[in-house]
Amino acid sequence: MFPWIYEFRWTVGHIIFLGVFFTVAAVVVSTVVLALRRSKKAIADPRREALQWTSEFEDLPAVVRACRHQLSGEVKERTCHHEFDCRSCATHPQFLARTAPAIHAAAEESLCGISMPLDRYYHRGHTWVKPEGDGTFTIGLDEFGSRMIGQPDAVALPEVGSAVLANGTGWTMRKRSSDLRVLAPIDGVVVEQGGPDKGWYLRVRSEGTEPQFRHLLRGHEIRPWLVRELERLEYALSSDGIGLSLADGGELMPDLWKQSPEIDWEGVWGSMLLQA
Amino acid sequence: MDKQFIPRGLRRTTFGKFMAWMIPWILVLGFGLYAIYLCLAEGLFHTNMDNRFAFGLWIYLDLTVIALGAGAFFTGFLLYILRREEARAVINSAVVLGLICYSGAVAVLMVDVGQPLRAWFTFWHPNTHSMLTEVTFCLTAYLTVLLIEYVPIVLKNRKLRQIPRFLVFEFQLHKIMPVLAGVGTFLSFFHQGSLGGLYGVLQGRPFAFREALGIWPSTFFLFVLSAAAAGPSFVLVMTALVQGISKKKLVKPEVLQFLGRISGSLLLVYILVKAIDTLVWMNYTSPMVGFSAFEFYNAGSFGTWILVLEVVVLGLVPALLLVNGHMRARPLVLLGAALMTCCGVMLNRFVMTIQTLALPTLPFDAVLSYMPSWEEVATFVAVLAYGVLLYSLSFRYLTLFPQEKDIRQS
Repeated sequence: MFPWIYEFRWTVGHIIFLGVFFTVAAVVVSTVVLALRRSKKAIADPRREALQWTSEFEDLPAVVRACRHQLSGEVKERTCHHEFDCRSCATHPQFLARTAPAIHAAAEESLCGISMPLDRYYHRGHTWVKPEGDGTFTIGLDEFGSRMIGQPDAVALPEVGSAVLANGTGWTMRKRSSDLRVLAPIDGVVVEQGGPDKGWYLRVRSEGTEPQFRHLLRGHEIRPWLVRELERLEYALSSDGIGLSLADGGELMPDLWKQSPEIDWEGVWGSMLLQA
Repeated sequence: MDKQFIPRGLRRTTFGKFMAWMIPWILVLGFGLYAIYLCLAEGLFHTNMDNRFAFGLWIYLDLTVIALGAGAFFTGFLLYILRREEARAVINSAVVLGLICYSGAVAVLMVDVGQPLRAWFTFWHPNTHSMLTEVTFCLTAYLTVLLIEYVPIVLKNRKLRQIPRFLVFEFQLHKIMPVLAGVGTFLSFFHQGSLGGLYGVLQGRPFAFREALGIWPSTFFLFVLSAAAAGPSFVLVMTALVQGISKKKLVKPEVLQFLGRISGSLLLVYILVKAIDTLVWMNYTSPMVGFSAFEFYNAGSFGTWILVLEVVVLGLVPALLLVNGHMRARPLVLLGAALMTCCGVMLNRFVMTIQTLALPTLPFDAVLSYMPSWEEVATFVAVLAYGVLLYSLSFRYLTLFPQEKDIRQS
């Protein structure tokens, strides 16, 4: 195999065969080394959470990746390929131009006992962001998420001064030995934390340009999204082969997990909070 | 008990039932490992092979699983090189099947050689004129590629992906998959071909010897084509089998039909080439060395029925069924035709391995007979058990069929 091996003789066969083999081996080794080097670089990069979201998003079921315009009934079927970031979607402005902005006199949407105030924007991972008017933005878990998870056993909020990235980890919660990642709806630097007595929230200030909310749900989009999320939760809780069976008019109970503690709640919570 | 390791959104049977399924296979594997120990520690006299019948059940197993395992490279080729998105629904499963087939084949080869501690000799002192050298090099390299392709599937496990380093590495590995798919296709082309070429160059075995195209005998191309045709069918059959055992719908029907169409088209081309090759062999190659081709089909129980069964019943018939859209749309026909395709390739490898060695090569020779020893059978079954175990673990804890979640929720 190598010229220094006993009785090795260079022949045309050796040159062709070993040349091809070592080229293949070099390609395989170099691609793996490249992947390792890129991984090392990405781990050190503070924006690696964006990469994590890209990976998670790819693995979400198509039903979860439904386009917001499908949820609101503007199109029959459309799957999002932009990681829910409508800012990079070329078709989103066309939909906006086609649809007249809906006027919502109501202050909130309410469904199955869940109230969703309309003075804020909602992320598909069940967080909201509310502009406070002083250049800061409050981020919190919506009522759907709160009812589903109940009182967390522990919460780890990011330190004041640290940065959060849209679709990255806003904060983590521990519940029944499960670590749950709550996604941040916008980029920002944490300026205040809300503790257990004030409800878990973050107040962030955007660095540089004003944050955009184009990727977040609002107004008329909240109700159909909520309906879809309730269906998704029912599927996640249903037995195999039974599917949807909840009668209309039921309420989502607080601390839902207590009703059926035997269920894989870590799986259910993770799915609803957009973790693959 | 192990719920937190099962992918989100998927339902799997209880841990108790899962273990009840696994334990018999573990016992079978253990029994096979004992047989392997006997062969390695005490010698190959535990087998019923000898200097004249040197290729037996194990080489047949190797050739068969390598042909069926071609589903891995071909699915990767369809997805990453030809950009056929339909293949994404089965790519993970195909990689696991390929890994099982190739690792099982390499493990059995190590036992068959009888001197696994000297396995490195073939790399250190390669005979570059031997087809087997090319097979050894390509198999090893492709098994490495399959292992690398399996890593991101494992790293996407629900628990492992929570470790940021793993998730990032998986992401980066995923990006280089087209390169690995290209390398896998290149390696598979040559080792599948060389396995066929191995028989085609046997001048002392006129039943197997074939005319050369360039430096390769025609069997080189026939093996490549037949493996490419059988690979998608094997993925199809295995998907249907797993659907049946797990009682879950894992892929959309279009995906299976797509695999069937690809398999049928390739099988049709293969059968055409095989028919031409057989005619050339019957009318030219065999008479040139003093044998009438039909003499080979008058020996022992190897009648012409084998040829008819292989080429027509398990070749032409499934090919026609699979290329016909109406027939393919019927799930039972689709599955039956895919199963026939796999059986056809298995029979072809049997003919090339066992019939070739059994037939007499000298006027005073009789038809050789060979019956595998229990150690050979136990080793054979151990590879099957190993495959079932690895696939079952992968199916339970990894996402082998990405569409499963969608189908469940739609």
